[in-house]
Amino acid sequence: MASRKEGTGSAATSSSSTTGAAGKGKGKAGSGDSAVKQVQIDGLVVLKIIKHYQEEGQGTEVVQGVLLGLVVEDRLEITNCFPFPQHTEDDADFDEVQYQMEMMRSLRHVNIDHLHVGWYQSTYYGSFVTRALLDSQFSYQHAIEESVVLIYDPIKTAQGSLSLKAYRLTPKLMEVCKEKDFSPEALKKGNITFEHMFEEVPIVIKNSHLINVLMWELEKKSAVADKHELLSLASSHLGKTLQLLMDRVDEMSQDIVKYNTYMRNTSKQQQQKHQYQQRRQQENMQRQSRGEPPLPEEDLSKLFKPHQPPARMDSLLIAGQINTYCQNIKEFTAQNLGKLFMAQALQEYNS
Amino acid sequence: MSRFFTTGSDSESESSLSGEELVTKPVGGNYGKQPLLLSEDEEDTKRVVRSAKDKRFEELTNLIRTIRNAMKIRDVTKCLEEFELLGKAYGKAKSIVDKEGVPRFYIRILADLEDYLNELWEDKEGKKKMNKNNAKALSTLRQKIRKYNRDFESHITNYKQNPEQSADEDAEKNEEDSEGSSDEDEDDEGVSASTFLKKKSEAPSSESRKFLKKMEDEDEDSEDSEDDEDWDTGSTSSDSDSEEEEGKQTVLASRFLKKAPTTEEDKKAAEKKREDKAKKKHDRKSKRLDEEEEDNEGGEWERVRGGVPLVKKPKMFAKGTEITHAVVIKKLNEILQARGKKGTDRAAQIELLQLLVQIASENNLGEGVIVKIKFNIIASLYDYNPNLATYMKPEMWQKCLDCINELMDILFANPNIFVGENILEESENLQNADQPLRVRGCILTLVERMDEEFTKIMQNTDPHSQEYVEHLKDEAQVCTIIERVQRYLEEKGTTDEICRIYLRRILHTYYKFDYKAHQRQLTPPEGSSKSEQDQAENEGEDSAVLMERLCKYIYAKDRTDRIRTCAILCHIYHHALHSRWYQARDLMLMSHLQDNIQHADPPVQILYNRTMVQLGICAFRQGLTKDAHNALLDIQSSGRAKELLGQGLLLRSLQERNQEQEKVERRRQVPFHLHINLELLECVYLVSAMLLEIPYMAAHESDARRRMISKQFHHQLRVGERQPLLGPPESMREHVVAASKAMKMGDWKTCHSFIINEKMNGKVWDLFPEADKVRSMLVRKIQEESLRTYLFTYSSVYDSISMETLSDMFELDLPTVHSIISKMIINEELMASLDQPTQTVVMHRTEPTAQQNLALQLAEKLGSLVENNERVFDHKQGTYGGYFRDQKDGYRKNEGYMRRGGYRQQQSQTAY
Repeated sequence: MASRKEGTGSAATSSSSTTGAAGKGKGKAGSGDSAVKQVQIDGLVVLKIIKHYQEEGQGTEVVQGVLLGLVVEDRLEITNCFPFPQHTEDDADFDEVQYQMEMMRSLRHVNIDHLHVGWYQSTYYGSFVTRALLDSQFSYQHAIEESVVLIYDPIKTAQGSLSLKAYRLTPKLMEVCKEKDFSPEALKKGNITFEHMFEEVPIVIKNSHLINVLMWELEKKSAVADKHELLSLASSHLGKTLQLLMDRVDEMSQDIVKYNTYMRNTSKQQQQKHQYQQRRQQENMQRQSRGEPPLPEEDLSKLFKPHQPPARMDSLLIAGQINTYCQNIKEFTAQNLGKLFMAQALQEYNS
Repeated sequence: MSRFFTTGSDSESESSLSGEELVTKPVGGNYGKQPLLLSEDEEDTKRVVRSAKDKRFEELTNLIRTIRNAMKIRDVTKCLEEFELLGKAYGKAKSIVDKEGVPRFYIRILADLEDYLNELWEDKEGKKKMNKNNAKALSTLRQKIRKYNRDFESHITNYKQNPEQSADEDAEKNEEDSEGSSDEDEDDEGVSASTFLKKKSEAPSSESRKFLKKMEDEDEDSEDSEDDEDWDTGSTSSDSDSEEEEGKQTVLASRFLKKAPTTEEDKKAAEKKREDKAKKKHDRKSKRLDEEEEDNEGGEWERVRGGVPLVKKPKMFAKGTEITHAVVIKKLNEILQARGKKGTDRAAQIELLQLLVQIASENNLGEGVIVKIKFNIIASLYDYNPNLATYMKPEMWQKCLDCINELMDILFANPNIFVGENILEESENLQNADQPLRVRGCILTLVERMDEEFTKIMQNTDPHSQEYVEHLKDEAQVCTIIERVQRYLEEKGTTDEICRIYLRRILHTYYKFDYKAHQRQLTPPEGSSKSEQDQAENEGEDSAVLMERLCKYIYAKDRTDRIRTCAILCHIYHHALHSRWYQARDLMLMSHLQDNIQHADPPVQILYNRTMVQLGICAFRQGLTKDAHNALLDIQSSGRAKELLGQGLLLRSLQERNQEQEKVERRRQVPFHLHINLELLECVYLVSAMLLEIPYMAAHESDARRRMISKQFHHQLRVGERQPLLGPPESMREHVVAASKAMKMGDWKTCHSFIINEKMNGKVWDLFPEADKVRSMLVRKIQEESLRTYLFTYSSVYDSISMETLSDMFELDLPTVHSIISKMIINEELMASLDQPTQTVVMHRTEPTAQQNLALQLAEKLGSLVENNERVFDHKQGTYGGYFRDQKDGYRKNEGYMRRGGYRQQQSQTAY
């Protein structure tokens, strides 16, 4: 616990100190016309989120909560948060909205920012790109334009580096979601690919100067020996991610097969339709030559009911998820390679 | 004798009635002939000349007597029959009656019968109790007698008005004949005593009564006769109500007073006696009212059970009949005719037959007759149980065994008797000693039936009771009988019959472990062969040799497929039981039974299953785990081993089948002493599965599509894993699961301790005939397989390992370790090479790590994904496919190459 908090602290300090760089580095994702260009998080919020997961979440379960703060220009400042209670099946009648309102009202009484600016969620090996997240983020963003979702990855954090990311839906996706039309055509028209679903907003963690001072002092006192974990390869992480990735790939395959069948069916139908039309035309021509009136026009769509095109949102989400996994793996292997080289160098140096 | 004095009045009927009662009564109503026959017998010897009138009246009186008897036992059906006969007889006697007037006794019976019937009719309670036949007969008889009596109305009213008159007349006539009647009484007594063995004890009492009566007769004839008669009515007509009785008595008394021809003293004495008698009568009456008729003072009355009762102690033949073959056979047929009829008392029938045998043997009728009757006794013993499900009572069973034994004795003693099913009744020769005796009947069928009965008894006895053990002791007897029949048939039977009896013999031999032969095998053949031969002779044939001989005969001679199949299966079973694995296996393979056993009938299939199981267990004992596993797989994987082996019904399917099916299945069950221990079976299966599966699992741990060798074993493992809290193993399964877990880690010692310990010894291993051998085999197997598992699991952490270490770890000698490792290397299960000089195994790092495996799988999946994706693309570009298709193929090839390349890359990457 101690080391983790410390790690968090150091990460916080480092990121706060390199605010500018981080902002620039990650800035390209949050390109253009978004309402929020930057998210500034209080150290308190980070600690609260971590603590919430520590106490309530375990394994594949996720914890969720509400972020409070205010918008300053194009910067979203998150100053506080509160958790949602864990859902169990026996209190189905639990009223979330009322709970939120009540909570916010109470917090206002103690002079805390009470503007609802988004929500946070923990994740299991980065598997957060789901329909549920999309839906709830859409409703948030629909109601409060500036709201973000903070994704906290406890497993990565446990390995030494705080993993906290802020996401928003892109305006394109917002439009599509508003239409509630996920047919291939609509997505094509909206020009949405999995890369353009979420935009990541750069995060800055801000602490008071007093805390920063304390951090510096603490860092000086702590011994280097505590950080030997940094060299650990944590290969189980890679395995797990690979497994999850594989599952998603399977799903993707199935989805594609489904789409494939649809395509085949539609093309077959198209052919039949075409044949039918041709035959009709020929007949009409014959009738005309015989001097009979042409056959009445029939509703083709009734004769050939178009197949229901499969919703493409799921495959988009899966693709997005695969993308995240790949990013994770890339990051992870890059780190590990670095570690390996470092270890080799150290060994050579020693011997 | 008495007939000389008879004047045609009913006195005759009365006297003979009084005498006859004692004798004919027990005979009862059923054997209508019997009383007639009996009296005729008497008369044949005694009577000399009779007038037509005598003859007719005789007939009538006889019939009346029977009616009275029937009335006494309330057998209305009988009454009806006899009444009809009586009517006819009266018609015959018409001419005489016209001359002489209607005889009084005839009127009397008519009146009595009517009264009796009316009384019965009124008695609603009794009517309800009456069985259907009787009730029906009652109403018909009542109507008939009413109609009939209309003709005699004047006579009857006359009789009813002054019954004493008629009685008086009777009495007067009786006087003369009392002497004779008493004589006759004695005579009858003699007959009854001689025939009725059982009645002997009761005889004295009746005798004494007779004696009393006689004295009375001598004292004062008139009084006595009166008394006698009165007593008769009292005792015979149980139905006559007390009022009537009272009235009669008063009449009698007055008459007595009126008459009084003798001296005062005499009178006094007579009075005293009368009092005594009255008392007795009263006693008897009260007793009868208590419905304790069967053991009356006189012991005359036997309460008759059932509808058409057979007499308990029947009189076989009348006295003095010359007992000849014809008579006995006639009697036998007579008895047999009742067989199978409703309401026939089967027990009594058996007794009758036995009595007949006795008589036959007493009279030296020759063996033929005895054999014939014995056949029938056994048959009726089998018939004793009305349905198939019930089994013989122990007494019956014992009787049956004895009977068969006796029969065999006779047959062996008399080689000139021919027995056969196909001998017709007509062509039987039972008496003519010159020619060979021929008897119809089949000893083989009897013995087969006996064997089935034995199975049934065993099936129906609680296998955990002492009773079962007692029954099981009979098995030896059954075996000896079968053996004797076998010997007999070997001399006389046809090949078919011999095959059948051989099969019986085989069925009684195949499941028994031949301890003697086993012992003989164990003792080293150091002793001279001669002594061994002696020993062999002493102890009889080895069961193996016996089986061989019997089965070979059947293989060669049998024409029905079923017997041969059974014989083969038994033979295999026997081989397997005695650990002759290769013979058993070869026989099984040669018979090709596996291909077509599903067409056989269920009992044969059960036998087949038993054989397969025994074969599997045998293979296990030999250390051939794979064969054991394969043999047991079918039975064990279904989870219905119990049902398949015929060792019990499954409860869950109870609702699915109806009563009838259940009965059939119940009949198929194998008796308990033939059971194969299910726990042993399961343990053998699980242990062999463990020995196969654990190394396999270790070798294919990372294989995505690995198959299971044994589903059941995996199921057990999963059950074990699901347990939240693992205690020390209790059941056999838990032991095996725990052992498997230990083996997975290559920890053979723990595995060993789980498989072989006190508990498992008690539950499983001690049940084997050569338990120690099996255990040592098992230990060795565990060591070997653990070594393999260890190498599979941990080869990745070793660069090299010395074989000496391995041999120390697994306590195997070096050559064994060497051979196991070499085998693994040859089979490409282990990527390693042996370094001869240093005796080490050098591992080649070729097998991918977990990540690499995952990566490989991922690559595969991605490949298929890409393919699918391309198809979608194909559709889009479908119209101009040619160009793209070419390109696609090229891409695919490329991709395949890349995939391999990727794999190589990863390999090199993980070489760090």
